[in-house]
Amino acid sequence: MKASEVRATAFAMPRHSPSYPAGPYRFVDREYMTITYQTDPSVLERVVPAPLRVLEPIVRLEFVRMPDSTGFGSYHGAAQVIPVRFGTETGSYTRLMFLDTHPPIAGGRELWGFPQKLASPKLEVDRDTLVGTLDFGPVRVASGTMGYKHHAIETDVARTSFEAPGFLLKIIPHVDGSPRICELVRYTRSDLVLKGAWSGPAALALYSHALAPIADLAVREVVSGAHLVADYTLELGEVVHDYLA
Amino acid sequence: MHEDDVRRNAFAMPLENPSYPPGPYRFVNREFLIITYRTDRDALERVVPEPLEIVDPLVKYEFIRMPDSTGFGDYTESGQVIPVRFRDQTGGFVHSMFLDDDPPIAGGRELWGFPKKLASPTLQVERDTLVGTLDFGPVRVATGTMGYKHKVVPTERALHALQEPGFLLKIIPNVDGRPRVCELVRYYLRDLAVKGAWTGPAALELHPHALAPVADLPVLEVVSGVHLIADLTLDLGEVVHDYLA
Repeated sequence: MKASEVRATAFAMPRHSPSYPAGPYRFVDREYMTITYQTDPSVLERVVPAPLRVLEPIVRLEFVRMPDSTGFGSYHGAAQVIPVRFGTETGSYTRLMFLDTHPPIAGGRELWGFPQKLASPKLEVDRDTLVGTLDFGPVRVASGTMGYKHHAIETDVARTSFEAPGFLLKIIPHVDGSPRICELVRYTRSDLVLKGAWSGPAALALYSHALAPIADLAVREVVSGAHLVADYTLELGEVVHDYLA
Repeated sequence: MHEDDVRRNAFAMPLENPSYPPGPYRFVNREFLIITYRTDRDALERVVPEPLEIVDPLVKYEFIRMPDSTGFGDYTESGQVIPVRFRDQTGGFVHSMFLDDDPPIAGGRELWGFPKKLASPTLQVERDTLVGTLDFGPVRVATGTMGYKHKVVPTERALHALQEPGFLLKIIPNVDGRPRVCELVRYYLRDLAVKGAWTGPAALELHPHALAPVADLPVLEVVSGVHLIADLTLDLGEVVHDYLA
């Protein structure tokens, strides 16, 4: 294969059969259980990278079911997300994320910089309860529960959580181990179709694990639980800060 | 977290708890089943990137058990390596690789550019036969078999094969989807200790799969089977050609 063809067809590895397609990445019937909780402000200050700033000592643990996703298929995720400010904008910083399928892990890390690892997250309805779990290997690291569709959330309120930008710290090493990419990335979602939003009683338990340290942001008090269903397109991102510049 | 701390700690994602440690990557009791076969030269021409050159129309189909590996743990791998020439050097171009463990997939892709996907490879002794299999989801894509330890291979010959460099096409996209890294990488295995090497009767069967197209390099004839056990260190690499320069 000619070098010019290599360059022309280079999107992702393996070149002849990339781990993920080029998008746009449309998610249909994406379902969230988001449990918002209070944590220790001094720990948050240590984990949120400047120039992002912590707004208040609040963290969200999200359990997500993605049954129909461009190139990524049908899979589950769990993420620990921190509300932040960047300049004059408010959004959220994804600290840790766990998925049970590979294309969105490879694509998520390499394109945007989602801090994703392979694990076993799950979100399902069990009789009267929406149950989210995260296992890392055989070890349970998070368990969230919420009463099923107790109160509807107003559409305008629910939409704001999708309309705020997300922030990521994209880090890719060079082949000699030195940092090649170290960037703050901003991304947005588009073409949102909100299909439902509910609140209800919620509880969350986190457990320590060496490779999935979500419990480092301890649960002091659960603030709210939200159950959301929506279609949207995950847009590519932009670099808003280069740490190596 | 201060920007200087971000820079200082930036090795891989997630920043606070990277998916893989920085090495050196030592493998103890790494066990290989390597089935060398003759394939269609035109099929090879379509996938071997310049400036690498095809030597003979051969492919090495590998099943590898890694029971004890720095940071990566205990896992199994399977894939295709194409014997190539780079200038006056002979080595192997890693065409495809399938693993059952996330840290070596993330680290392999992001550090070196190993073209790795998540799947279910196995390598085990079944009575009289060394059996290697590769499943992608529920679908079998490769089955290799070899008679167990029929004939000893001289250590020097086995060592020589492991001392040859490996070549990789490292591709990482930018956050806007355009190629950010498109490089030919060379790496070596170091501190080799061969613990055993054998040949025997061997057979290989490949089946088509949309996302694991190992059968695109068809088996025309099996040339040899080698069973190998060694300790080794996988060294970091160097860029020998930049397709974007």
